[in-house]
Amino acid sequence: MPRYELALILKAMQRPETAAVLKRTVEALMERGAIVRNLENLGERSLPYKISKHKERHRRGGYFLIDLEGPPSIVSTMMDHLGRDIDVIRRAFIKHPVSKTEECSGIIPVNYEDKLIAKKK
Amino acid sequence: MAGQAVAARGPWRRLVPVPLWEQPRRLQHEWRPSPSDQPIQMENPYKEPPKKCVLCGISVDYKNVQLLSQFVSPHTGCIYGRHITGLCNKKQKEITKAIKRAHVFGFMPVMFKDPSFLTDPKICNVKYPE
Repeated sequence: MPRYELALILKAMQRPETAAVLKRTVEALMERGAIVRNLENLGERSLPYKISKHKERHRRGGYFLIDLEGPPSIVSTMMDHLGRDIDVIRRAFIKHPVSKTEECSGIIPVNYEDKLIAKKK
Repeated sequence: MAGQAVAARGPWRRLVPVPLWEQPRRLQHEWRPSPSDQPIQMENPYKEPPKKCVLCGISVDYKNVQLLSQFVSPHTGCIYGRHITGLCNKKQKEITKAIKRAHVFGFMPVMFKDPSFLTDPKICNVKYPE
């Protein structure tokens, strides 16, 4: 089961450089004992706001999504490691969202009167 | 033998009906109503199914900015409240958390709504002051 999802925004670079960054990121992850399940490219788009990182103002970036399985200790070490990488604009670790359409039972009308009256124990 | 034949005809019918004071009477504090008359306890069969909000059954993710932008003001980028969106408790909380996440992770703009999503269908009933 995928445990973490790493949302990565990389600097807008040429293809071989982007590939090199992703390669060393995945290698760093595997070194720390993570299993990389999937690597998705969400495309290169203009950022929603200008981000200043590593003494540069960025307007465009490449969005990547890595789902991986790994020990919880990986989070802090990887955030540290990626923070030192100049080509990474933004990094974020999330617990993998278990996408299941739960049966929503609908809006149950709340009885406010009952809540107002203090319950006598 | 004759008695058996009489009993086989049916319930014994008296010549004179039983007077009121000789009918079997029950004590008032022990009175139990006849079961055939009382209404049967059952759940309301005409109950309407509970109303569902717009996002019932749809999973909310911080990545689909288009869905999240529908619950955000186009002018200021503020997240609309429950009385405007009309969502149930759970979904409103999920949407808020997802929008905040998308802001921080650099997926969604903060101060305004993404211009490409301005022509999306309106879900929220916003009323601007005259």
